[in-house]
Amino acid sequence: MRRAYLHLTRFPVQRRVVESPELAGRPFVLVEAVRGQRRVAFASTSALKAGVRPGMTLTAATALEPGLRHFDYRPEDELRALTALGEALLPLAPGFQLCAPDGLWLDAGAAHLCDGEEGLGTRMLSLCAELGYRAHVVVASEAFTSRAVARHGARRVEVVAPGDSARALAPLPLSALEGREGAAFSALGLTTLGEVAALPMGAVAARGGAAGARVHARCRGEDDTPFVPAALEEVLEERVVLDFPAESFEPLRFALKTLTDRLGARLSGRCRAAVRLTFTLKLDPSGQRQVTLTLARPTARAKLLHELARHRLEELRLENPVAEVSARVDEHSEDGGQQLALGDAPEGDAALEVVLSRLASTLGEASLFAAGLEAVHRPEAAHGTRAFRPPEARRGLSAELLEPGARRAAVSVASRERPSRLLAEPACLDAEVAESGRLLAARMAGRRHRVTALTGPERLGGEWWSETPFQRDYYRVHFEGLGPAWVFRDGRDGRFYLQGLFD
Amino acid sequence: MSAAEQRVGAGQGTGSVVEQLRERIRQLQAAPRRYLAVLRTGLSAVDALLPTGGLPLGQVVELCGEAASGRTSLALHAVAAAHQEARLCAWVDGPRELYSPSAAALGVDLERLLIVRPQAPEQRVWAAVQLARSGAFACVVLDLTRGVNPDGRACRVALAEARKLADAAARGGGLLLLLTSPESPADGVVRLRTEARDGDGWSVEVVRSRQGGTGARAELPWSALYPALGLEGGGRLLDVAEDSEDGTPDFLRDQSGALRNGLGILGQRPGRDAPMPPMRQGLDAALPAH
Repeated sequence: MRRAYLHLTRFPVQRRVVESPELAGRPFVLVEAVRGQRRVAFASTSALKAGVRPGMTLTAATALEPGLRHFDYRPEDELRALTALGEALLPLAPGFQLCAPDGLWLDAGAAHLCDGEEGLGTRMLSLCAELGYRAHVVVASEAFTSRAVARHGARRVEVVAPGDSARALAPLPLSALEGREGAAFSALGLTTLGEVAALPMGAVAARGGAAGARVHARCRGEDDTPFVPAALEEVLEERVVLDFPAESFEPLRFALKTLTDRLGARLSGRCRAAVRLTFTLKLDPSGQRQVTLTLARPTARAKLLHELARHRLEELRLENPVAEVSARVDEHSEDGGQQLALGDAPEGDAALEVVLSRLASTLGEASLFAAGLEAVHRPEAAHGTRAFRPPEARRGLSAELLEPGARRAAVSVASRERPSRLLAEPACLDAEVAESGRLLAARMAGRRHRVTALTGPERLGGEWWSETPFQRDYYRVHFEGLGPAWVFRDGRDGRFYLQGLFD
Repeated sequence: MSAAEQRVGAGQGTGSVVEQLRERIRQLQAAPRRYLAVLRTGLSAVDALLPTGGLPLGQVVELCGEAASGRTSLALHAVAAAHQEARLCAWVDGPRELYSPSAAALGVDLERLLIVRPQAPEQRVWAAVQLARSGAFACVVLDLTRGVNPDGRACRVALAEARKLADAAARGGGLLLLLTSPESPADGVVRLRTEARDGDGWSVEVVRSRQGGTGARAELPWSALYPALGLEGGGRLLDVAEDSEDGTPDFLRDQSGALRNGLGILGQRPGRDAPMPPMRQGLDAALPAH
């Protein structure tokens, strides 16, 4: 089976720089506790230049570089980030297998869709570069070959043809073996994997046993390690624990960027788009706050998600500092993408989402909606509110062929006789009624309006099974000096009420 | 020598064409989205009044008139026209009175219409500015009237706010329609005054316009806005009762309860129009008799 190994040099350090860009070019180390001592696990390039090496104690490292910053190395966080990266690469490879802490194998079986294996490697690197990572990719038939060549080879993208593994491995140093087996061979005076492969197989097996024989087989380009793809999580959730509780929005912003970048990458890897997200802020020492973000147009674009999250959380007033932020995608849908036409702004619907988010955070979620029709006879209850999710505008042939007449079916005949403005609570009309019961005039806002035309009645009644039945005779009335109005006489008290205006 | 010059010239020619195209694409991308230069209302008489042949995009247009003079449905026609182009529209509904079944009957696609109902009156203009500036909406309607409700208050637009509205419309490239009443007009570049005349018709007049055409006036029947209004010629009353002289149905003349022996206005059993009398009363009256 052909597989690609993606090696991200010192991945935890790269991740730190991606998440906090101010660390770029600065000396810093990631520290882990080893038998009660704090030792360097990973060091940034400038720290390495100053002489800091992995395995050193933090004290010794700080003595070498006084400006050294240090952070805790949390393997589970690195694993999460690596998984997110693997999911982001899913459009290029059908499966991935993690190889903590700094690499992953990917199934290269779909390389023919990306202009061959060379093209696959290039596209993987460009996707990684979009996410801010530098990497090496090697496509080979065996797990060991791909990993060793990616870690110790010189080229950024390399394809090892099937059967060519031994030749590709030959120049690599013995350190590529990464175990105690390497020490045994170097004691014999060997320096490269090619020299190991050249030893007689029987002698190696006799002196080194099964482990020796395995190493020898690997150096000859034979490895039967199976490819076990990682299982995808059902729930899309990301979490960032802040280094210290944040009192201002600034540190939170970087955490949000990390969250939305990862979520966006994971969503686009699965070809899904977020519809509703929930951000949970854990406060220090106690309490939490949840903020829900509903999108009018589903999207997987990390930049847009970050922008919206920033809008929503920026103005939040919290009683305690924030210790941890997490984001969960509650609802997602198929990502249809957006077709842009010539002249469209490249960001597409970002403007719509941003303005909706700004309005929602200032006016409240309930102030923005799209109306919907209800099958109810009572006029003031015949419309309801829905979430505003406009359909995508179609362009091109599909729009010309499918669009006309596709909608506009549900409007009833009765709604043609309805006014454009309607009072939710009908207002009692100060009416002059003739002896016969006919409406002659009405007084509104201190002015008398004579009735010049009258059409009706339209009898609406119902809900006799409920607490508030209604029985009304509706008239369309033209009031002099005002215009046409919708008036009804209530069957329960016999009075006239103003319901709406044909404005 | 001359061949080489020609080749160089040709090379420059194609280069400049490509450059021109590139420049054109850049302009297209930089310009706010405007495929429609104007938004036609669909009422040809109204469109003919305006010098641009429709409501101009990127500008503030004011529809000014009394409470029931056809402003709202004219704005709804403009929104329906934008929806025919599959564009989005927004309605800042200050008085909270927009009736969506009627809007749907006028051709508005309710899914593409964002309705904004701010709690505070002073947020109306702010919301409209945000919506218009975003450029995501082809038409933003800002309802500044006080509405049907007699104790509502009209919202007056300050000069600075009017500037902001005009600037937002120009930047977003969409149409910003203001619905106002004569007692508190706003500062639109184009102002149309609508007036209800009688049961037969209404009129539109261009009161203010920078591109000319001021004073143009059109009179239209109500059926142009509401095809099923039916108020022409004094209206038509449904003849419910045959023995009434004036055509007024008899249930209007009398209090129904007395005439119909305590039954409902149509003679149906009680409960259709009034709550049922409690059972206990009937029982109490019946028991001593036995």
